[in-house]
Amino acid sequence: MLEFDGLHKSFGDNRVLDGVGFTVAPGSMFGFCGSNGAGKTTTMRIAMGLVRPDAGEVRWRGSALDQGLRRRIGYMPEERGLYPKMKVGEQVAYFAKLHGLDAAAAAKAAAEWVEQLGLGARRNDAVEKLSLGNQQRVQLAAALVSRPEVLILDEPFSGLDPIGVDSLAEALLGQARAGVPVVFSSHQLDLVERLCDSVGILARGRMVATGTVEELRRREAGRLLRVVVPDAAPDWATALPGVRVVSEQAGDTVLELSDGGNDQEVLAAALRTGRVTHFAWQQPTLVELFRGAVAAPTAEEVAA
Amino acid sequence: MSEPRSLSSASLVGLVARREISARIRDKNFIISSIVILVLLLGSLALQVALDSGTEESRIGLVGDAPGLEQALQAQGEALEVDVTVVELPDEAAASAAVEDEEVDSALVVQGREYELLVQESAGGSLEAIVQGAVSQLSVAEQLAEAGISGLDVPEVPVTALDPDADQDSQRVVAAIIGAGLLYGLLILFGQFIAQGVVEEKSSRVVELLLATMKPWQLLAGKILGLGVLGLAQIVVIAVVGVAGAIAFDVVDIPGDLIGTAISVVLWFVLAYAFYAAIFAVAASLVSRQEDLGTVLMPTTLVLVAAFVVGIQASADPDGTLARVTSLVPGLSPLVMPVRQAAGDVPVWEVGLAVVLMLVAIALIVRLGGRIYAGALLRTSGKLKMREALKAERA
Repeated sequence: MLEFDGLHKSFGDNRVLDGVGFTVAPGSMFGFCGSNGAGKTTTMRIAMGLVRPDAGEVRWRGSALDQGLRRRIGYMPEERGLYPKMKVGEQVAYFAKLHGLDAAAAAKAAAEWVEQLGLGARRNDAVEKLSLGNQQRVQLAAALVSRPEVLILDEPFSGLDPIGVDSLAEALLGQARAGVPVVFSSHQLDLVERLCDSVGILARGRMVATGTVEELRRREAGRLLRVVVPDAAPDWATALPGVRVVSEQAGDTVLELSDGGNDQEVLAAALRTGRVTHFAWQQPTLVELFRGAVAAPTAEEVAA
Repeated sequence: MSEPRSLSSASLVGLVARREISARIRDKNFIISSIVILVLLLGSLALQVALDSGTEESRIGLVGDAPGLEQALQAQGEALEVDVTVVELPDEAAASAAVEDEEVDSALVVQGREYELLVQESAGGSLEAIVQGAVSQLSVAEQLAEAGISGLDVPEVPVTALDPDADQDSQRVVAAIIGAGLLYGLLILFGQFIAQGVVEEKSSRVVELLLATMKPWQLLAGKILGLGVLGLAQIVVIAVVGVAGAIAFDVVDIPGDLIGTAISVVLWFVLAYAFYAAIFAVAASLVSRQEDLGTVLMPTTLVLVAAFVVGIQASADPDGTLARVTSLVPGLSPLVMPVRQAAGDVPVWEVGLAVVLMLVAIALIVRLGGRIYAGALLRTSGKLKMREALKAERA
């Protein structure tokens, strides 16, 4: 298990992380979402030892990360970084050596990864001569070359074209299938929804939601009901107990049910107005879940 | 594939140092600067040889039988500091041919008491003086012998030098000044290399990836060590070529003193390099763009310039207060002390004190600078104040 436990961090008066915690099982992919400035990068930098937390720690297989364990993590920083004048192959081999491979193994692994990511022909070119997309591949090679036990990637998909996204997704799925826990942050929520076994949403320095996309959906799904009643008079549902009208437009009504609300009563009321052409619980997309989670402080947060 | 192993600090520092070296020796600026320094060095040696040609050479062809003439020519040459080589030639035709082919500078044809000097264009001052002197000496001796006078007692003038070491002293001082100039140039050069390397890592953001695998001090130490090995190799090559050249071309009288000065310059380079490299690296870590480097490096560069100027001054007045004080001040001492040592007698305790002070200063800078460096590396926006960097390091 890769565990992020109770991370707190303030920069001056700015409280960036306020008890961030989640766990990632080996072989699973964790999508880390949150608005800009929510603290995703700080969380990942803490894991990599680049920022010292005020409290809390990150553990891998039960022991707190130290320099030795971090050497077993493949990391891709948000701001990509490579030596611009160093050759692709040498650069990847250098990072392999920094992660503890001996010279021969590093050269071999670098050659394999460079080949695998389709950069074989550019092996002896300086990184600065490559296109941005190809530089990103070198960056990925640098993260993967030491056969890491854990992958932590900050916005790995940003700046990639759709084909680049697909090949990176393929590479990450391959790592996860091989048993590596993968944590990545992204604003491309459709991608997170498609790739990740579990998702964490960070807002105001706290995890406001964690779980599989299904779990999050189920949690939210109890609440929004869409009913389309073309013949109904306006405000047909306002009087129903435990029901709040979220939106209503020409009979297309979205209702939020509190615990006292009963969907069968709503259906009965709808039928009384005439035809019912649509009656279903909303299946929120991750985008909607994200908006909901990020928008308002939860009761728990307010209490805190 | 073998399993990844855990890395010790030493092996991490070694990896960084090796990368620095291999990146630098392929760098055009480094190659060009190395070549320029060597060419300058060899050029100045050649210039020395040409200017100070105490060993002007002259080949004189000799036709005809004149006993004692060859010795007389050589004796005259010695008096005029010209290395005379006498070549025996069979006849006048051969002599003309030899002069025309420039096999000899001139040819002296002797027929009985008649002498004729064959030259290409004109004899030139020293050549004519040598030949004229030798011929007249010989003929005076012959005429005296004919007149029955021999065993003439010519008094020899004894020479007493009042300051026999003056020449050697000045040679040592010149060597020390050249050494200090070299130190100054190499420190500026390698300081720039270090500073550019630090900013390159910051501006390309590769530093975040590096710091995920090592501590800031390991990165700093690796950079300083790697470039230091190159710098040391360069100054040793320069010293060896310079000293060997000077000895081979007879530019110096006392090779031992020159070697001593060269060694002390090399040793001072090690201390000065550690001191300035750390300062340059820390200063560079405060900025994120190559364009901003000039401003943060300026103060340190000025200190170096001042040290160089004081070093030159110390050669004229090695025991003055200014020279004595500055040769103890860390940062200035590497450029002043070797000059003082060459120009006069410096008590051993002063040299020892200067070295100790320098070591203490290096330790302080590496400690404090390491913290600034660590705090500043991940701040990649604009220019940082030292205080902010120290604060960031504690955060």
